[in-house]
Amino acid sequence: MFRFLKAFGLFIAAAFGTAVSPALAAGDLLVAPTRVILDGSRGTEVVLNNIGAEPATYRISLEIKRMTAEGGLDEIAEENVTPAERTALDMIAFSPRRVTLPPNQPQVVRVGVRLPEGTPPGEYRAHMLFRSIPDAASATEAKPATGGVSIALTPIYGITIPVIVRVGDLGAAAVIGEAWVSDTPDGPAFNFDLARSGNRSVYGDIEVTRPGVAEPLLVARGIAVYPEVAQRKVSLRVPDELAAKLKGPVRIRYSEDREIGGGTIDEAERVVK
Amino acid sequence: MRNFGMKRALVGAAIAAFAMNASAAHAASATGTATAKILRQITLTKTSDLQYATIISGATASTVAVSTAGAATCGAGLTCTGTTTAGSFDVQGTSGAVVLVGGDSSVTLNGSLGGTMTSTLSYSAPNITLGATGGSFQVGGTLSVGANQASGDYSGSFNVTANYQ
Repeated sequence: MFRFLKAFGLFIAAAFGTAVSPALAAGDLLVAPTRVILDGSRGTEVVLNNIGAEPATYRISLEIKRMTAEGGLDEIAEENVTPAERTALDMIAFSPRRVTLPPNQPQVVRVGVRLPEGTPPGEYRAHMLFRSIPDAASATEAKPATGGVSIALTPIYGITIPVIVRVGDLGAAAVIGEAWVSDTPDGPAFNFDLARSGNRSVYGDIEVTRPGVAEPLLVARGIAVYPEVAQRKVSLRVPDELAAKLKGPVRIRYSEDREIGGGTIDEAERVVK
Repeated sequence: MRNFGMKRALVGAAIAAFAMNASAAHAASATGTATAKILRQITLTKTSDLQYATIISGATASTVAVSTAGAATCGAGLTCTGTTTAGSFDVQGTSGAVVLVGGDSSVTLNGSLGGTMTSTLSYSAPNITLGATGGSFQVGGTLSVGANQASGDYSGSFNVTANYQ
């Protein structure tokens, strides 16, 4: 009974995604959930759905990404991983690794953890990559031109979600630093520093409000600081009019995920320059 | 449970829910608990390809650039025809979610009649904050065309990912 209803929920999540997708290229995909945390005793399931108009083959793999001080995620080649990152890759088991799906066909990927005896306490993390493998025939749109050069560039695109394994009793805290508005080549951005301490990552939502105004100026969900960095910059592109509004006194609140209660991690009053 | 079992589970769930209501109505002591978990999801769809269209090479090496907005700059000595477009991807997910986007910074193209070219790639933003209608990001690039580049169909592939943190 429970399993059926759980599957029903998964299906709704998957079906909703297909309803809003505007395009129908081969290889388009949906992944749910967007983050997996395991404690080592129980596994979980991740749903992959083909939301394209044609059958597509997807490859599922694990890769190591490291957070940068700028808040990006750098992909690390397998030969350059640290022993702890190697442990993470080895302890996370999943199946299947390759699947061909007709349109609107979801596939459950089972994810489990094999904790070797004596694994030191800590947070182990890999990023699960779901990537469509392009079909050579449909990718070619090049038209030969006499004496000319025609070009066909095929993006191999995919989605990654973090798979986090926590071993032992871990804790972490975060502190909001300075906040400022800057100009980027693509328009203004709202920036602030986020410092982390402890032996695990912090993750949550950011809400920026003006004192005395109920409606938040800015909401950004799913901001993480991973253990490999003690501090990161959070830089969020904002429209011009919002950038102007953000300047001045604001209250920034970093709260835990709503799914685990939404408790405050840190809250700070800042004057945005 | 996997594959088409999922669709069957939908039907199964609907039937099971009816059955549970019925039994609850008839037996006063019965209690039923229905749980359904809606998972957060992310979708990635390609809405356009990065296209340099057709280029006729000249006597000197030059470049063709396509901005992330799709505008083309045809280098000196080259003849460019056709419509260029930036690559574009649509991302859907929880409103307010910040998604890191990016991919390879260059790609090598191999010609059908021999020869290679390289293109640098640029992305419209390192991250996007999804709105109620999702978000999108674009891929542009600069193609280096050699002097008297061998004609033919050139093809190459590059990696693009949308990453949840």
